[in-house]
Amino acid sequence: MNNKHNLSRRRFLQFMGLSASGLIVPQFTQAGTGVLITKSIPSSNEQIPVIGLGSSRTFNVGNDPLALDNVAEVMRHFFKAGGRLIDSSPMYGSSQPAIGYGLKKLAKIKDVFSADKVWTGDFHQGAEQMQESRQHWKLDTFDLMQVHNLVAWQAHLEILFRMKQQGKIRYVGITTSHGRRHDELVDIMKKQPLDFVQFSYNILDREAEQILLPLAKQRGIAVIINRPFQRGDLIHELNNKPLPKWANTIGCESWSQFLLKFIASHPAVSCVIPATSQVSHVRENMQACYSPLPDEAMRRRMIDYVEKII
Amino acid sequence: MGELTSYRLSDFILFSQTVYYRQFELYNQFVWPLHFLAIIFALIIIYALWKKPVWGGRLVALLLVVCWLWVAWVFLYQRFYQIHVVANWYALGFALQAGLIIWYGLIRNCFALFVSNQLRIKIGSALLFVAYIVYPFIALMTGRSWMQFEMFALAPDPTVLASLAILLFYKVPVSLYVIPVVWMLLSVSTLIVM
Repeated sequence: MNNKHNLSRRRFLQFMGLSASGLIVPQFTQAGTGVLITKSIPSSNEQIPVIGLGSSRTFNVGNDPLALDNVAEVMRHFFKAGGRLIDSSPMYGSSQPAIGYGLKKLAKIKDVFSADKVWTGDFHQGAEQMQESRQHWKLDTFDLMQVHNLVAWQAHLEILFRMKQQGKIRYVGITTSHGRRHDELVDIMKKQPLDFVQFSYNILDREAEQILLPLAKQRGIAVIINRPFQRGDLIHELNNKPLPKWANTIGCESWSQFLLKFIASHPAVSCVIPATSQVSHVRENMQACYSPLPDEAMRRRMIDYVEKII
Repeated sequence: MGELTSYRLSDFILFSQTVYYRQFELYNQFVWPLHFLAIIFALIIIYALWKKPVWGGRLVALLLVVCWLWVAWVFLYQRFYQIHVVANWYALGFALQAGLIIWYGLIRNCFALFVSNQLRIKIGSALLFVAYIVYPFIALMTGRSWMQFEMFALAPDPTVLASLAILLFYKVPVSLYVIPVVWMLLSVSTLIVM
């Protein structure tokens, strides 16, 4: 609790302002390092930490025992910093078994908020694929099951809603990335009772602010943001540029934290899922899960600065 | 088509360079000491191309069939498929090439007819040198662990390159070149964007 009193006045006020608006709920880590930012899933009011963990590419390590241990180590630091939501897909090669290895090794099967996807054009194979995914993760049920990249979404959504009714999953979602098929996604969001939607959004690609994010807010759909660093390109481009001095007023000591906090501070965003295979990066990313979050004026300032230097 | 053009090749490569090369390190440990057999295969092929014995063509074809099927099953399907969701199709392509070599090399004995074009022979010899001798040292030359070496008869790239080189020595149908050329294009693209 002492750390709460150590917050600067500005950070405390920003934090209080966001709390009052219902955006974040404070939690204190065991280590007492600060205020963990969580956001509410609109359909249930369940809280999830605003920074999650993606697994595309980074956790696809095959049967390499050293790499599997490294994945477990990344996950250990993720959980230790308060993280819960891990996202994967059958498309990501061996990422699912790697996550299962980590969960078992760390005894975190009950703590993880599991988000996976169904990814097959043949909806008859969907049930079998989800069963395989459960086995890979070593879980009885998934928290969230999403239709990957809108593939055969009509048939899959019907099955997922039925599974939710039967208690086999807790939430239903749908995903896309790189700004593809947004028109179709909008249509689905308007017509289907989704719990989650996942798409790409970052400080330079803000197309989602026009329709997707306001619509999600209006429809009460939780939003997961993928590709926060444009698959590393954004970080790569910014790493040789100076971080603004005022970044520390929003608790950012690195570009990754700066970019993640920008996304996480959008009122409609529930969780951002950067992917990494490095312990130092997951620790750095998870610092963005702690208050304060930028307010609207600060978000504008962040955009102006990045657009000026890129 | 609009959506398709929004994809980059890297969107389909869902593994890192580190993980890719570690596959060769683990694979080399797994197949040891078959590397000696691979060297014997390579030497037999050189002998057959040089001395042109009557039985040489069919033996070269048989050895290539073994190499392509081995790489298809043990590397591409059993190992690479773990990290690359389309590697099962690659394995199928390699098996298909083995089938074509069986048909043209073993059944129709096309590998009995040598070309006389010196340019083809020189290019073939150069490619064979790269596949046999240079390729295994690329890992070391690029600063990776020597254990990540790729060797003819065991790893896909040097096997395909050596096969292309060997085909240049013979009067064989163009259809035998299709899969090796497509593979080299795929492989080079993967290495560039990985």
